[in-house]
Amino acid sequence: MLTALILADSRFPGGGHVHSGGLEEAAARGLVVDEPSLQSFLYGRLLTTGLLAAGFAAAAARGEDLAVLDAELDARTPSPAQREASRAQGRGMLRAARRAWPSARLSSLAASPHQPLVIGVLVDDPYEAALTCAYLSVSGPASAAVRLLGLDPFGVNAIVAALPVEDVASRAVKELPCLGSPALDLLAEAHVRREGVRLFGS
Amino acid sequence: MKASARLVVSLDSHGNSVVRVLRSQSPLTLVPHRRVGPVALVHLVSSVTAPLGGDCLSLTVEVGPGASLDLRGVAATLLLPGSSGTSSSSVVRFLVEGSVRYLPEPTVVTGRANHTAVVEAELDGHAELRTREILVLGRTRESPGALSTSVRATRCGKPLLHQQLVVGSPSLDASTAGLAGKRVVGTELMLDAVARVSDGGEWWSVVPLAAGGTLATALGDDVVTVTNVLDAI
Repeated sequence: MLTALILADSRFPGGGHVHSGGLEEAAARGLVVDEPSLQSFLYGRLLTTGLLAAGFAAAAARGEDLAVLDAELDARTPSPAQREASRAQGRGMLRAARRAWPSARLSSLAASPHQPLVIGVLVDDPYEAALTCAYLSVSGPASAAVRLLGLDPFGVNAIVAALPVEDVASRAVKELPCLGSPALDLLAEAHVRREGVRLFGS
Repeated sequence: MKASARLVVSLDSHGNSVVRVLRSQSPLTLVPHRRVGPVALVHLVSSVTAPLGGDCLSLTVEVGPGASLDLRGVAATLLLPGSSGTSSSSVVRFLVEGSVRYLPEPTVVTGRANHTAVVEAELDGHAELRTREILVLGRTRESPGALSTSVRATRCGKPLLHQQLVVGSPSLDASTAGLAGKRVVGTELMLDAVARVSDGGEWWSVVPLAAGGTLATALGDDVVTVTNVLDAI
């Protein structure tokens, strides 16, 4: 449980703060401008890519073959920008984890693993791993919204607290999901093509 | 209504792709063209209004080494509810050692539809598959019913693409991280050795998959816009 809390803490030095999960692109286009549009964005993110990531974290926590999971998650992530964002966050998390919780299974991960697999290896309870992953799928974008749009942190926090993160984690432990989100994929691809100043890596 | 159909195409000694097995079962009616050549052309005709709630449709397509098949739809598919309220399903399974182009017409998810669509493709080393899916969320001024559509493609057992799309949850359809309130979703999957340039615009992209192949995705407010994007690839 403590490992899950540390991974979900925004002060964990895994580099997650440079990723907005598509929020920066959505904000730049005026698609997310206030609390209601942020709530809709976070809800959609949680129930698509959040569920997918949580399912893979749970599978990794159950001890399933990491190379197979890596290939299956690649097949469920058609956007190269999304794959790179997941692997960049996995790489950052792995770097910090090697110092904090060295283990043989952690060493068996690829150099740039998908982030849900790192979470699953570190948090060996499937539900806790899924919950951590599902929460991270919305907490980063929520904090990015506060920074990019100047939204009220109390209001944004209340939105995150009301999201069905636990329901998604419960669903994620039952089967390996394959839900896609075409709009998030397109936002991620447009974000890497965007010229000019970008504050976030994704 | 439960129906299963099967189509087998192989290469003959003259280099022509020939339909070896053609087993239709209404509403899945397969209509082959008489022309002889390197590519066999077959139309998939829905000979009864389908799918309605309760229908269970299954089509298996096998294409042998060196053979090519063009499998085309002739009309849009309307997903409709049945009288019993039960759900409908369709499964299309491809076993490809040659080359397949599967181009059904758009699928319209009408108000009370409840349908599950599955496409499974198993490719061997040099096999090619190109398939397009265009979904329309409801007829004019109609909210869509429930649809789950998924595709899983593998090459020599290794996964290339595995995606599910769920339509019909108003809060998810409207979310910027769901379908962004767009009425039409189009994808074109190209599993071949052709290297294509990554490209994209506001609501479309052409991207390489991790294990080979290309996926084009487009969201739009009408079928013409989405079709134009996919046709331009």
